[in-house]
Amino acid sequence: MIKILMVCGAGLGSSFAMEMAVESVVKEIGLDASLDHTDISSASGVQADIVIAANNFEDQVKRYGMNSHLIFLNNLIDKKEIKEKLVPVLEENNYI
Amino acid sequence: MGLIEFTTKNVELQVDAKDWEEAVRKSVSILEKNNHVNTEYVEHIIQNIDEYGPYILIHPGLAIPHSRPENGVNRIGFSLLTLSTPVYFSGSDNSVEVLISFSAVDNRNHLEIIKMIVDIVEHGLIEKLPDVHSIHELNELMEEVTFSE
Repeated sequence: MIKILMVCGAGLGSSFAMEMAVESVVKEIGLDASLDHTDISSASGVQADIVIAANNFEDQVKRYGMNSHLIFLNNLIDKKEIKEKLVPVLEENNYI
Repeated sequence: MGLIEFTTKNVELQVDAKDWEEAVRKSVSILEKNNHVNTEYVEHIIQNIDEYGPYILIHPGLAIPHSRPENGVNRIGFSLLTLSTPVYFSGSDNSVEVLISFSAVDNRNHLEIIKMIVDIVEHGLIEKLPDVHSIHELNELMEEVTFSE
């Protein structure tokens, strides 16, 4: 099962809210995925196929050199933006 | 939904704040007053914003001041504060008029609060909340939101 990890600074606010929005999108497109959220300093120790974070964490997330597909969002709980950015990544990697 | 209640204890409407810091301080002081957090909590939030940017902005018009459990949390809680005049955070072009501060004891047990925030945003209430003048009006507006199970 594909694992999607939401990442933010504290690991319990923005990332948790993102997880909920992503959960709705994932349900809508009928994808069986395992979702979780964490803070940026713990993120590098977690294995995930896709990592989703806010734009302002782009540099930090990239610095951790995570071996995952990375998606960055302007509006963290905007399902439209999530879908627009997530679906191409899923398609390219044959998850859907 | 025992946790999600809007009362005079956790809500302040149409509050004046001269800048983002005062807005955050006033919002988090409601959590302090209700003994959800101690006085350290807000200092961590302000310091984190100074250091990492406005990580508490998750949607235009809304800020969700929060920090880690070890930074002064006593128990799970939230507060809702609206501003009479919007404030701006450096690093963002969006003005903020609604602040929902919360405290968490771990990464997951405040699920209901995060769901409430997402539901409020998805029902388009962030744009409506600044015009609310009483708790009664607020609760009428919130009736539109069927908080997720």
